[in-house]
Amino acid sequence: MKKRGVGIASVMFGFGYGEGFPDHSTASIRIKPDGRVEVKTAAADVGQGVLTVVSQIAAEILGVPVESIDLVNGDTAVTRSSGSTSATRQTFFTGNAVMNTAQILRSIIFDLAVKVYGKTYPELYFENSCVVPHGAEEKKISFAELAKIAAERGEKLEAEGSYFPITTPPDPSNGQGERVYVSYTFVTTIAEVEIDLGTGQVEVIRMVAAPDVGQAIHPQNVEGQMEGGSAQGIGMALMEEILFDEYGTLLNPNLSTYLIPTSLDVPRMQTVIVEDEEPLGPFGAKGIGEPAMISTAPAIINAIYNACGVRIKELPATPEKILRELKKLAAGN
Amino acid sequence: MGDNRLMIKVTVNDRLYELQVDPELRLVDLLRDELGLTGTKEGCGKGECGACTIIMNGKTVNSCMVLAFQADGSEILTIEGMGDGEELHPIQEAFIRQGAVQCGYCTPGMVLSAKAILDKNPNPSEEEIRKGISGNLCRCTGYQKIVDAIKDAAEVMGGGGDER
Ligand code: FES
Ligand code: FES
Repeated sequence: MKKRGVGIASVMFGFGYGEGFPDHSTASIRIKPDGRVEVKTAAADVGQGVLTVVSQIAAEILGVPVESIDLVNGDTAVTRSSGSTSATRQTFFTGNAVMNTAQILRSIIFDLAVKVYGKTYPELYFENSCVVPHGAEEKKISFAELAKIAAERGEKLEAEGSYFPITTPPDPSNGQGERVYVSYTFVTTIAEVEIDLGTGQVEVIRMVAAPDVGQAIHPQNVEGQMEGGSAQGIGMALMEEILFDEYGTLLNPNLSTYLIPTSLDVPRMQTVIVEDEEPLGPFGAKGIGEPAMISTAPAIINAIYNACGVRIKELPATPEKILRELKKLAAGN
Repeated sequence: MGDNRLMIKVTVNDRLYELQVDPELRLVDLLRDELGLTGTKEGCGKGECGACTIIMNGKTVNSCMVLAFQADGSEILTIEGMGDGEELHPIQEAFIRQGAVQCGYCTPGMVLSAKAILDKNPNPSEEEIRKGISGNLCRCTGYQKIVDAIKDAAEVMGGGGDER
């Protein structure tokens, strides 16, 4: 017999190193002689999309098409530290560093343009890699021309900036602190499972996850993070377990013995992006890396309980464990 | 080495190679190390992850599980042969459009499995797609955008599947 159940779980996740550890990111941006924009950061993009996000941020602030951004990445000879790609921190930290740097560069460009035109700031705006005077659009100057003018004057259209917020260590006695993390990401996951009472096999048949990311700078990538994280969460809930023997020898070092979800183990998922702007985030954004997977397993475990009344307290919820608990339940504990 | 090397002829991405290969050389190493076609990835080296998937004589195989000499006389398609060097293949375009690539390690294998699926059935159902890529592990995407990309490619390539 098969039974179905639904479970829900939420996570509140403080991102960045937090707890008083120094945590910062530095970026630099320049206008190249051809007018393209070079963004240098050491943020490692392992597929999560931070370089897409920082390109969008720089393009937005500098009024250039995102295609005209050239990235220089992770080279100790030319980039400063952006900190690690961990702790769900890159969108927030390097995003903020790039935002701050782009703003500095924007003011440097404006400063030069004001001198060139003999006009004040409000009379100028940026559009499509040009500085444009209001009401005299035909007199616009491209970033390439401006870079040339700057070079002739011995100046550079270049800026460096960083983001370095302060956090405080928590009181060890109660875990409380003034500002233990800069900000928090919230995710709620709802899972529906079908459990075979004869075999103890659990199938996740539906999953909806709602991440509060502040502002989704690249919604498709937020979905990608959620879908990937949720798939890992399914693995964590139902199959992934590192087994050692008594001598500490790893018993399941292969992908045929340490199972991770395949395309057949993961249902079609729905991501409902919640945008509640974080005032400290770049354009209101928060990180989504790790919290994407944290509420998945508890939602599934709750769904199992809802389906058949057994409470699995040790992951993963393998068929053996579920059958054992079902037996206990039938025997009146 | 040397003495017992075997002479093979193999067509890779429409180009014929005549090569001397060590009898123990795996096909994945032939492709990557000898032919420089590093688009094919090696993950587990044990036939368990699908990262090394290529198409050999019209069928997907794990190139880590095939010895190079066994490829003698065969036609091989690797990720490098999908586009024409200028333009990407519609499946690759669809992967980009749908955001189906994160770290990219599974991607070459996924794209070739996708091609094999669509070669067999230009209008596959979600279930067929999921079965067709179930030998390709992906740790990043949760598969959904990959499935969507294959559906998208099917549509673009004229299969016209709309049973989303
Ligand atoms: S590398 Fe060949 S299947 Fe994993
Ligand atoms: S994109 Fe990273 S393994 Fe698939």
